[in-house]
Amino acid sequence: MMRLFREEHRKLWKRASVKISVLFCFTYIIVFGGLLSYQWIQFGTSGDFTSSFGNRFDGYKSIRSRMDHASQWEGELTDAKIQKMVKDYQDLRVSDPDRARDETDWRVLNSWIQTLWPELEEPEKADIMLSYVEPDKLTGFYERREQQIEKFLDLMGTSDDEKAFFLRMDGKVEIPFQYSWVEGWSNLLGNVLTDMGVVTGLFIGIALAPIFAGERQREMRFLILTAKYGGIETAAAKTAAGFAFSAELFGMMTAGTLLLQYVYLGTSGWDLPIQCIKLIATAPWNMIQAEIYEYLFAFLGCLGYAGVVMLISVLCRSSFAAILSALAVICVPGAVGEYLPAALQKIVDLIPLAGSSTDIFRTNAYHIFGRIIWSPWILITVPFVAGAACVPLCVRKWRKQSR
Amino acid sequence: MELSLDRLTKQYGKKIAVDHVSAVLRPGVYGLLGANGAGKTTLMRMLCGILEPTSGEVFLNGTPILEMGADYRNLLGYLPQDFGYYPNYTGREFLAYLFVLKGIPKKKANRKITELLEMTGLSGEAKKKIKTYSGGMRQRLGIAQALLNDPKILILDEPTAGLDPKERVRFRNLITDYASDRIIFLSTHIVSDIEAAADRVFLMKQGRILCQGSVQELTEMASGKVWEMKVPARDAARWEKKMNVAGIRHEEGDVVLRIISERKPTADSMRCRASLEDLYLSYFPSGKGGVENDETF
Repeated sequence: MMRLFREEHRKLWKRASVKISVLFCFTYIIVFGGLLSYQWIQFGTSGDFTSSFGNRFDGYKSIRSRMDHASQWEGELTDAKIQKMVKDYQDLRVSDPDRARDETDWRVLNSWIQTLWPELEEPEKADIMLSYVEPDKLTGFYERREQQIEKFLDLMGTSDDEKAFFLRMDGKVEIPFQYSWVEGWSNLLGNVLTDMGVVTGLFIGIALAPIFAGERQREMRFLILTAKYGGIETAAAKTAAGFAFSAELFGMMTAGTLLLQYVYLGTSGWDLPIQCIKLIATAPWNMIQAEIYEYLFAFLGCLGYAGVVMLISVLCRSSFAAILSALAVICVPGAVGEYLPAALQKIVDLIPLAGSSTDIFRTNAYHIFGRIIWSPWILITVPFVAGAACVPLCVRKWRKQSR
Repeated sequence: MELSLDRLTKQYGKKIAVDHVSAVLRPGVYGLLGANGAGKTTLMRMLCGILEPTSGEVFLNGTPILEMGADYRNLLGYLPQDFGYYPNYTGREFLAYLFVLKGIPKKKANRKITELLEMTGLSGEAKKKIKTYSGGMRQRLGIAQALLNDPKILILDEPTAGLDPKERVRFRNLITDYASDRIIFLSTHIVSDIEAAADRVFLMKQGRILCQGSVQELTEMASGKVWEMKVPARDAARWEKKMNVAGIRHEEGDVVLRIISERKPTADSMRCRASLEDLYLSYFPSGKGGVENDETF
């Protein structure tokens, strides 16, 4: 059986479409989503108008400057510190607008002000709130946060049980928050890792869709099915090889992403609360816990998706049809999701890779057998279980369809 | 060893592909002759256990093959009609892959693969990718894979398709050498291959076995119905429309037609010795003039 697995695994990696998929996946996630994003697109300083987004190719240096600048505010986050940070930004904006834009944590700071002091917004001003609010008015940070959470839960029509559930959860969040430069983590947890799962899944779909359908298309099915280990054993070896490939591809992307994270962002800030990214998040998690969750979400989502793709493959007569169907599993829920009623949306989110790992910042829950379960736990388990459940169906269908 | 087919039937909707076929196969070479669409491939797939019959069963020594599962497949070598392959594999890699599928111990692999590549004349091409192979080379690779596990039951669907005359002779010799204690069942519509290699022949049409017997028995069925007549070249086409013409050869400005007919076509026609091909053509007439013969002689 092990020999069979090795042969199937080798066969998978030998296909040109798989090698191209891996190359594209690497290029998109590591080169564009990682290296160029850190060095140029996301963190390059502004002012180079030869590039379409106006950034210089100096992300590494720029991140160091941002970290240095934020280090003066490191430690407990208090009203006084927030006021100083806002004042510092506003002063810099007058004296050196480029530094204000390229060195301060202005995106994070502005999002806090928008969330907690919405009444200070002056709609007629086109500029960001951070640039015009009076720092002295920014008081009651933690009280306002609690009020905003309650207000948000009421606005979302959350039931009393759910509200109590999330408020209990929020009660475990450590106050006062710690602060150091947040934008790096915000980009990592809000963009890089969420994209990584979907993009890796996309290429897993392209690579695995022909795993059974290709055998039919190539007329290899009859040779395989008349061999001693032709039926159940081959299907089992193929699915195992499919999962192994998914894990390997994901592992490669994870290794690259972690390496780039270490080089560009380092490890500082790992113990910051995720509330620094989204103030009304109720999960008592820090950045490293959120990162582990997001990797796990993407990994289990990819494995679950691999199981679904292999089932599609065994049901399709041609590789092309299998690839299209596999891609539809990723693309269609994303495209139609927003038009669906909330209850249906929550069901669609259970399709592997259709949900989002950023639910850790949200207050969504599922009711299962009368219990309230925070959505990230469901979103991490159900898609994987669904994919795993496809395996016996694959094996049975592969064995049966020849009859 | 005895492979029995008991009223084997396969129906797709209203179409009956194989219709109550019964036969008993013991070690030896069996040829299955029939035109395209006669049901040969369907019958062979049922013999391999990859197609479930609508009714009837195949037994090996009294045990239904579908119940035997891997034990049956362990005894089986199969060359499908449309032989699939992996274009990016070399011939050797492809055989090594199938070796694993057939569950043969690794230590035997290299020696056996080398032996089979030599046997099928592919030693020189073993390290080339299959996508660079000619049709004949791919077919020989297909034959090699069918022999990997030294099968006791070898089922070959159109094994000589795409082989040149020299390769076909090599294949026939290989089959003859191989047949001693094995059941070899091969289908083709190339009559001469069956004539040269098969101990017993089945003639299949529209899903049914019309007749069976040794090559000699079957040719005897056609004897007395094969004629040769010399006609002017300009009349040949007219005769082809009118009669079941099995062959034409040119002779001193005229043409000699080989005609299959119950009656003497013309007064000067000469009766000649029948061949298996004549029998085949009597069931599957070549020209418009050929009257299909659904009855046995």
